[in-house]
Amino acid sequence: MTNNPIVKGKLVCVALNDASQFEAMQAEFNEAPYKSAPTQPVLYFKPHNTWSTEGATVEWAVSEGQAADSMVVGASLAVVFGKECCRVSQEEALSYVGGYSLVHDFSLPELTYYRPDIKGKCLDGSAPTGSVVVPACDVADPQALTVVTQVNGETVSEMPVSNMVRSVAELISTISYIMTLQPGDVIAVGFPGQRAPIKQGDKVSSAIAGVIELNNVAGRA
Amino acid sequence: MKHARVLFTGAGPLNGQELDVTVEDSFATTGQLKSKTDGQLINESDVKWLSPIKEPGTIFALGLNYADHARELAFEPPKEPLVFLKGANTLTGHKQNAYRPDNIKFQHYECELVAVIGKEGKNISREDAMDYIAGYTVCNDFAIRDYLENYYRPNLRVKSRDSLLPVGPWIIDKDDVGDISSLKVTTHVNGELTQDGTTADIIFDVPFLVEYLSKIMTLKPGDMIATGTPEGLKDMQPGDKVVCEIEKIGALETYIVSEQEFYGDKY
Repeated sequence: MTNNPIVKGKLVCVALNDASQFEAMQAEFNEAPYKSAPTQPVLYFKPHNTWSTEGATVEWAVSEGQAADSMVVGASLAVVFGKECCRVSQEEALSYVGGYSLVHDFSLPELTYYRPDIKGKCLDGSAPTGSVVVPACDVADPQALTVVTQVNGETVSEMPVSNMVRSVAELISTISYIMTLQPGDVIAVGFPGQRAPIKQGDKVSSAIAGVIELNNVAGRA
Repeated sequence: MKHARVLFTGAGPLNGQELDVTVEDSFATTGQLKSKTDGQLINESDVKWLSPIKEPGTIFALGLNYADHARELAFEPPKEPLVFLKGANTLTGHKQNAYRPDNIKFQHYECELVAVIGKEGKNISREDAMDYIAGYTVCNDFAIRDYLENYYRPNLRVKSRDSLLPVGPWIIDKDDVGDISSLKVTTHVNGELTQDGTTADIIFDVPFLVEYLSKIMTLKPGDMIATGTPEGLKDMQPGDKVVCEIEKIGALETYIVSEQEFYGDKY
């Protein structure tokens, strides 16, 4: 496990923020166990044992001594806080951002969103971030960014931030009314609804063109 | 030994410093804490209690982990632990404020035994689990039921709010407590007994949880496992004083305030 240079406190991830996934799941949302669509951002933590770095090989999940059948990966724009952020409006939200980076979320497949997915999401080293934080002043509009992910050189997803259900500013505001964010806290604002399936040994690379990239390898069990 | 952390608020050179202290048996009569740095005695009236875990790691909490509480909420007891995580922003200490959000109908306390991890480990067996526990404390894992939604339930909006995880007053060494399988778990609200349970009703116990979690992920010193709460839910209002107590471990006191009072200028 490596010390992450970016995340200092909390790594908050937003699930179900891909608008196309959110639309496609409307019927499912109305059934058990959900019964109705989420009215709030769907959030989860990646705890400190998951934090890792650019270039890291991510351990393959092992359960009961057996290598997991499948893992998936998604990439998100990472919003890194530069100052304490408590109960801020959408209008002022971006002024609390110190900069931007990328985060990979390696996990078991997202089979259900009903209960916190500790088994799937808390694997050691499963949340690498980019090696640097690109200063917020160098990113005119985070909504204009697109995160592209490749597995073994083949593009598996292209996720424009503008295709998210909730914008970066809206998420910062909403989350800041739940929990005070500190410098070095990170929000991963949204992942492609279709997480990319990976195999042991796969190379996973994500990039925001001209801004930052993140390269990892899926380990072998 | 009981280990606590306090912020010195009295006059003099210590003002504004965070201190590691021990809480001796004499504390009950003298109200004095002992600095770990130089043995100096410090009056409780000169300090603000902090969460006793200096560098908090992952905060695990258990839902529906007492047979009686699962019945109270009309849930079948789970076949597998219902584990959720909490942010460090939730932490506060003994005798501090916790807030009730505006415009809600039901916020309740949850008195819980907390096991504090003292040694790093992965794939720890049930038999070895207690070697990885440094000690115990008490937490009050408040919940706001209005905010529950069926996505990653109990969701962060319910369970990861500022100040809504008072912890303390101290960490007591594991060996000073001994057997934890039958400790009284009680809560008093404004002096009235509202929760009266025993850790004997815990479904998944500390050794089981250490084994279960460490199969998934590496546990590290400073990680905490809050083991769930027995039945006895009651709504909280600003002005209420709530005391969560676990036999042999400690009594954690919390004052409920309004959202406006808690956030002050930031409200």
